[in-house]
Amino acid sequence: MSRSRSFWLGLALALLAFSCAKRGDSGVDREVTTLGAIEVTAKLVEIPGPFPPNDLYNYGYVLKYKVLAVHRGKLDGDEILVAHYNPLKPRSTAQDEFSGKVGGHLDRFRAGDVHRMALEAPLDNFWMGGVVDKYFQQKGVRYWAVWTNLKTD
Amino acid sequence: MRNLRLFIATSFAILYGVSVWGATIPAEARVSRLAKEVQAKGWIVYSARTERGDWDLFLMRPDGSGRHNISNTPAFSELGGRFSPDGKKMLYRRIPSDSKINHDVWGAMGELIVANADGTGATVYGNAGEFAWASWSPDGKQLACLTKAGIEIRDFATKKVLRNFDRKGIYQQLFWSPDGQWLTGTANHFGESWTVVRMNAVTGEVNPVAKFQNCTPDWFPDSKRLIYSSRPANQEEPDGGKLASSMGQRPGYGWTQLWMADGDGSRGSLVYGEDGRHIYGGALSPDGRYVIFSRSPVDGGLGAHDTGAPMALMRIEDAPTIGGESKALRKLFPHTKDGPILPLPEGWEPHWTYAEATGKK
Repeated sequence: MSRSRSFWLGLALALLAFSCAKRGDSGVDREVTTLGAIEVTAKLVEIPGPFPPNDLYNYGYVLKYKVLAVHRGKLDGDEILVAHYNPLKPRSTAQDEFSGKVGGHLDRFRAGDVHRMALEAPLDNFWMGGVVDKYFQQKGVRYWAVWTNLKTD
Repeated sequence: MRNLRLFIATSFAILYGVSVWGATIPAEARVSRLAKEVQAKGWIVYSARTERGDWDLFLMRPDGSGRHNISNTPAFSELGGRFSPDGKKMLYRRIPSDSKINHDVWGAMGELIVANADGTGATVYGNAGEFAWASWSPDGKQLACLTKAGIEIRDFATKKVLRNFDRKGIYQQLFWSPDGQWLTGTANHFGESWTVVRMNAVTGEVNPVAKFQNCTPDWFPDSKRLIYSSRPANQEEPDGGKLASSMGQRPGYGWTQLWMADGDGSRGSLVYGEDGRHIYGGALSPDGRYVIFSRSPVDGGLGAHDTGAPMALMRIEDAPTIGGESKALRKLFPHTKDGPILPLPEGWEPHWTYAEATGKK
């Protein structure tokens, strides 16, 4: 292999490695920008308790978010309550025959992370099943997360 | 010596109908008497696996006799048969036989079928997913159905929506009371899913009957009381979880029991419990004197191998009754009556009518 070819091959590999390296992700994709009636970027404030197992029972789990930006639709206030379907599962595998359209690139829920989400409301119009809502004393809309991506940039 | 002990224990168990070493040894005479008592009291419809592997509807006498398949549809599975109040018709769901039954949402699966109570004349009433959790009105002229948007009351003959109202968190197992004044269902209520609630069928007001891990409610004929399944939290495991582990269940998960309570949630009391079994599908006789249920070794009620769970029948007057060794339960309910439990074939989601013509060919 000539020195010149080695150089270009090395450069290509370096560029490839650079492009694959962990870097900021805006959380934007086709689904999050088109699904649901509302699109937000929001910070997951807390996870109020352990997620129950979902090997036998499917459920929605309500999480509290601090809204950082509203990209589509309207919200009341900057704190919202969002139900996620079977939150123990990565969003990419959460959808099943009962859930309707649910997905995203988020692998797991961690307090403090920022999510870009496509939402619907009210929850009851989109999910007829068990809901664990530790904020039940807090009045207001419960949103249904259709698509959830992790935002890291 | 060991044989002598076994003989004494078994004799004692037969005489008094108590449990020995984890297995209920029924007092045969009392069980026979119970079987004789209920034999002619109408018919039970239930779903069960066939030798082909699909689920069909079966009828049997309450003592387990006269069992016969009334659907015989290799291409479909039939589930959740419910007799009309006059016992002349039934409705049930039908799904393709290669679909897996979901024990939780079966009332919204597949098509709603209406048939004569003996299974003849089956006709598709609604397309897949329509008329979910359809429940007869007391006069059989209307159906209450559950949709995401709310509860719909439909005219049975025309299918027209007569009125609708908020479902108030109810998401499955909707059943209309015999007096027409109430609905019951499993709901999200005050942050807890799996709460059995009672809804006023006129005003839509809801009150909890049993909070936290309850389901499969059914009405007593007086419309004042309900029977339901409940898996109480923090159940004691005297064996450190060995029984649960031996049955593939997480220690600490607990066992589902059969309970009853007044419609306002008061006077909740155990009907039947058995460590090592999940008790589901409690269906009362039309006079409320007996209850039939399934005893599944795994949660969900479909049995260990999705073949249905052994069913059983008892008198309500014998509540509370505890099956098996159930040390923790017996400690909690020391005054158990340990009434006779009539064992029945494997099945799922039974329903009872006293109409005589139902099962006669």
